[in-house]
Amino acid sequence: MQLLANVLIDGLAYGMVLFIIAVGLSVTLGLMRFVNLAHGAFAMIGGYAAALLTREAQWSFWVAVPAALALTAAIGALLEALVLRHLYRRSELEQVLFTIGLAFFLIALTNALAGPQVQLIVLPPLLAQPVDLGFRTLPAQRLLVIGAGLLVAAAAAWTVTRTRFGVWLRAAVDHPDTAATLGIPIRTVQCASFAAGAGLAGLGGVLGAELMPLEPYYALKYLVLVLVVVAVGGMGSLPGSLLAAVVLGTVETASKYLASEWGNLFFFLAMAVLLAWRPNGLLKR
Amino acid sequence: MSSKHRIAASLTSACLIACTSFGASAQAIKVGIVGPFSGPFAHYGTLFKNGAEAYIAAQGGKLAGKDVELIYRDTGGPNPGQTKTLVQELIVKDKVDYLGGFVFTPNAFAVAPLIQQSQTPTVIFNAATSSITDKSEFFVRTSYTLWQVTVPLAQWAAKNNIKKVVTAVTDYGPGIDAETAWKSEFTKQGGTVVESIRMPISTTDFSPFVQRIKASGAQAVYTFLPGGPPNLGFVKAYNENGLAKAGIQFLGTAETDEFDLQKFGDAALGLTTAFHYSAWHDSTANRKFIEALKKRDPNAIANYASVGAWDGMFVIHKMIEATGGQRDGLKAIAAARTLAWESPRGPVRIDPKTRHIVQNVYLRKVEKADGQLVNKELQSFGPQIDYGLDK
Amino acid sequence: MSAATQAARMAPPWRLPLIVLALGLAAWLLLPEQLGLLTRIAVTALFVLSLDLVVGIAGLATLGQAALFGVGAYAAGIFALRLNPDPLMGLAVGTGAGAMLALASGAFLLRYHGFTFLMLTVAVAQIVASLAQKARDWTGGDDGLTGFSMGPLLGRFSFDLEGQTAALYALAVLALGLYIARRVVDSPFGLAVRGIHENRARMAALGTPVIPRLLAMYTLAGALAGTAGALSAQTNAIVGLDSLSFALSAEALVMLVLGGAGRLHGALIGAVVFTLLHHTAASINPYHWLFIIGVALMGVVLMPPQKAWDWLRTRLGAKA
Repeated sequence: MQLLANVLIDGLAYGMVLFIIAVGLSVTLGLMRFVNLAHGAFAMIGGYAAALLTREAQWSFWVAVPAALALTAAIGALLEALVLRHLYRRSELEQVLFTIGLAFFLIALTNALAGPQVQLIVLPPLLAQPVDLGFRTLPAQRLLVIGAGLLVAAAAAWTVTRTRFGVWLRAAVDHPDTAATLGIPIRTVQCASFAAGAGLAGLGGVLGAELMPLEPYYALKYLVLVLVVVAVGGMGSLPGSLLAAVVLGTVETASKYLASEWGNLFFFLAMAVLLAWRPNGLLKR
Repeated sequence: MSSKHRIAASLTSACLIACTSFGASAQAIKVGIVGPFSGPFAHYGTLFKNGAEAYIAAQGGKLAGKDVELIYRDTGGPNPGQTKTLVQELIVKDKVDYLGGFVFTPNAFAVAPLIQQSQTPTVIFNAATSSITDKSEFFVRTSYTLWQVTVPLAQWAAKNNIKKVVTAVTDYGPGIDAETAWKSEFTKQGGTVVESIRMPISTTDFSPFVQRIKASGAQAVYTFLPGGPPNLGFVKAYNENGLAKAGIQFLGTAETDEFDLQKFGDAALGLTTAFHYSAWHDSTANRKFIEALKKRDPNAIANYASVGAWDGMFVIHKMIEATGGQRDGLKAIAAARTLAWESPRGPVRIDPKTRHIVQNVYLRKVEKADGQLVNKELQSFGPQIDYGLDK
Repeated sequence: MSAATQAARMAPPWRLPLIVLALGLAAWLLLPEQLGLLTRIAVTALFVLSLDLVVGIAGLATLGQAALFGVGAYAAGIFALRLNPDPLMGLAVGTGAGAMLALASGAFLLRYHGFTFLMLTVAVAQIVASLAQKARDWTGGDDGLTGFSMGPLLGRFSFDLEGQTAALYALAVLALGLYIARRVVDSPFGLAVRGIHENRARMAALGTPVIPRLLAMYTLAGALAGTAGALSAQTNAIVGLDSLSFALSAEALVMLVLGGAGRLHGALIGAVVFTLLHHTAASINPYHWLFIIGVALMGVVLMPPQKAWDWLRTRLGAKA
């Protein structure tokens, strides 16, 4: 019973981190059909920004994190407007090549600027202390992660379905020319969605820093996991990504508790089974 | 069009290769340093560089009166194929006289046939699996092995009323060595290993493992992880999940490595480890070492990897001395086998049979001194050999 | 298109292998101290060639080709260690292992397309990698498979320290693999597969058994990847888990796209250029070689080599 509770809690926390990072990639892949393998780099940038702001500039965590988010979103917007938008019409393989090159570049830049050590984010005392849930003690930070994941999911769903921006977004993706004719500012929508995706990735990087340590290779190291979540959840499906992230996160955690000598075999086995069963995503038919 | 392209590419490539073969002074002794300079373990490369270059500077810039040229090659991570190519080039093209470095076991294994055939003495600055030195008679090791530091710790634990221990190691060569060494010695001393947890090398989230440790009912956890992010992650998980409060003592080896130590904050106070080097070791040799390091780079860290490089260069120094600067692998190794000296870690010598360093292993606890965290040596277990080979 | 033009379009299949052999031999003679690098380039080129068959010819983007390479490498290594150190027999074993894994996984994978197919190839590769890591007694796990040394090639040429035998061996196998690939791609079967790449529905409407054709090409690619793996195992006398890694698959894909997918010689160009770039940049500055590679990759996409040549030609043409 204790084991089950442990698996569920740790799995949920891990899954939430994956979800928050994957959300942005799901958006760019599914809604904009742009393969951005540098997405992990945004998570890294967000995490690094938060780390440097809390440690070097001594900002409060609660101020540093939104600042880091904003910075990452701004960098994302800049990249999109100046460079990436020229690649929307290129083949997928070219997008892959370019974004991998970008990721390499960002890794090298991070290494040059901040060195190869792991960056730690200074947590406020509220988050650093362990919380005793009775049956289990866990760091308060994990509860924050779970909460944040649910909030992001809710906010994203609300934005896409209930706001005008969301309508524009869906129109811009489905029929860009018609949408343009109707006066929907396509370029703005694309740039804003990309920036939002980047910002969210940055948030994921910050929240996940305890689970996925921030070091220059971060940008490519966890990319596979994020791609897996997007694939299993279905490109562009936010609820799908959430479900996929939680399920896969729990499977991975369970395998660590029960069969750790098998490495990540069960994670990928589960992934293969789920993807084979529902090739277009968990919640799509 | 395409053949033009191809020809251009080939010509450019030929030029590139030709251009990188800068000739160095014919008199200089060439030492190839092989290690990770990029990727998640790049800090080892920096530590090696600092340790090695600080040693040469401390000797006045020359070793045994000869100029020394250090050639660095990046292996990335555990990448045996690439390491072999790099070392082959170092031996055949750059004609190195000695090799040093090596962080990962597979990389060291990969070059064994090369150094054996070319009779190139190779000093291992870091890799810790016991069987490496068996693969070629030209391997000398100035780092440590898991058996060497684990056996005395197991003996100490048994003597101090710790009867039930759970082991948690990373699932790779040195980790498995650590687990086997602990099990063998601890059970010999009458203790029980209640559970043996193996953690995949790619693990970043250690809380499931820490929960398993909590649930095991042991009095202490013996652990081994590779330096860098895994180390940091595990110790943090140990602290954050309240294991110390639950009464499970931490018994480690390299986990409180000076490189990451300050990052743990006060949560690291009291962690017990058995290891061969602490930057806080009180000796003239150690002070000289740290001084030389800081002179090179005020941010340089004195830890087991930089001291491994420092002592490694000492061995190379003595080998150069013994061969008069000539390339004679057999003579050099024969000389290396006889070495005994006062290293920054304490008194050491090279075991003539195994070519592995025999050194004091200390019991340390993390304490605060001068406003920073240090590994304070509580007692010395005396000189330890590599028990892994001495079976 | 007249028959004459058609014939002129398809170069004789032995031309490219001969050019490669000639260049390789020249390098072998002129750069006797870089033979390790030459061998590594040849092995990589063969691997990227196998990837081109899947990605460029059949149009199936995959990030799991390393599984086929690694399986060939481990098979050849285990064969040399436990059964027989003869290189050519080991080569056959490696090739067979790659083909079998491709056949088995392809039968499952090819039922999916696009991004789903891509991610499933990642899953299959990672599953194979996990199994290899678990089976320490057979594969050596994280420490790698060592302890085997190859017997002399053809009974006469032993693998020397400078790598002379290894380099010629790898070049010969590469040339042979290239010839086979060229023959297959230019055959009616190859044309059918290219047709499937261009328009699957139309080929199906014409009565082509789509999945069996793709599976056959995938299996051939697996065989070549296994060959490359076996070569790697034999010339390095060690097999590490990195031969099954995602990073290897990704790097091969990058090399292929860099050189140009679908034309076979693009695979070779990409392999040569990327490996040399990495090698040179890393020896100049091990810490920052990623900068150079990153910028090079981005540059190639923003300014494709074709365009650069065109631009150059027009500039020179305009001047003249």
